[in-house]
Amino acid sequence: MQDYLFNEQCDNFSLAMAYVPWQRFDKMYDDLEKAYKIGTVFPELNKPFTGRRCV
Amino acid sequence: MWNYEKRLQFPVNIKEPNAKLAQAIISQYGGPDGEMGASMRYLSQRYSMPYREVAGLLTDIGTEELAHLEMVATIVHQLTRNLSMEEIEKSGFANYYVDHTIGVWPQAAGGIPFNACEFQVKGDIITDLVEDMAAEQKARSTYDNILRLVDDPDVCEPIKFLRQREIVHFQRFGEALRITQDKLNSKNFYAFNPGFDRCEDCNN
Amino acid sequence: MGNQEQMLRDIGIVDFVLVELMEYLDTHPFDRNAMEYFNHYARIKNQMSKEFAQRYFPLTVNLAECNKEWSWGAAPLPWEGECS
Repeated sequence: MQDYLFNEQCDNFSLAMAYVPWQRFDKMYDDLEKAYKIGTVFPELNKPFTGRRCV
Repeated sequence: MWNYEKRLQFPVNIKEPNAKLAQAIISQYGGPDGEMGASMRYLSQRYSMPYREVAGLLTDIGTEELAHLEMVATIVHQLTRNLSMEEIEKSGFANYYVDHTIGVWPQAAGGIPFNACEFQVKGDIITDLVEDMAAEQKARSTYDNILRLVDDPDVCEPIKFLRQREIVHFQRFGEALRITQDKLNSKNFYAFNPGFDRCEDCNN
Repeated sequence: MGNQEQMLRDIGIVDFVLVELMEYLDTHPFDRNAMEYFNHYARIKNQMSKEFAQRYFPLTVNLAECNKEWSWGAAPLPWEGECS
């Protein structure tokens, strides 16, 4: 039994190196004011913070 | 060289002073994972880069970080410019105030002054790019920590913007690393330093 | 929001699109689609910056046209914000 989640694409890359997937630009946000407030024009890069400690 | 555009990259208009918050946010000005460190790191690393695309990216992101530095200083300035003496004393701001009044001086929240030990220029492209990726994550985490402390939407807006920029920069440095990998031999990326070694294999 | 503030914000938005596209193109130097967007927004930004300088104050020193007063020096400082 494997003790890790093997990924066909990443795990055939050379070992001992870090890899970030290529962004492929498709569309920007239509609403640029919204994009400005978010901090990116690329929807696929929008990763908001929603954590709270709650104690 | 640099030109200056007389506006902030993203607006900062804070109505309520808050000395406690300013003391935390100042870490993104002169702290270990702050914007001064980021800009100095990228603008210093670019000289020893062997590939033009990577040096170009470091210049462009390093320049954007200077704009972020200006935004963070503006946030600290607007949070402290109208403080009363009572607020200064009650908020624990007196220690900073005694040395700097309400000036903006690059230090970490804990008081350590900004210094070059907070970044590295190793002169090896893979090492430097991985350092840059780590730097962007450290900055993002610091902004996460700041967001947990903030209620004021006037402060939240520019902080959320700055945090998202770190994520985009991480993607770009990751892509620069992919470009670097393409130029090297995937059997052994570490056989030589393309920015320094003149021959790949000195056994021949 | 006043006209000046709105125009400054609009310039900020267009410039931001340019920064995003610039950094994207730094790692994707042959992406034609991105380059077309870049060219389009660069033209808009140039136009808007000139108009802003004529109406209000120069955002870059090369757009300063001065008669009675040094308009570059008279421009508001960016860190003062709207609430001072």
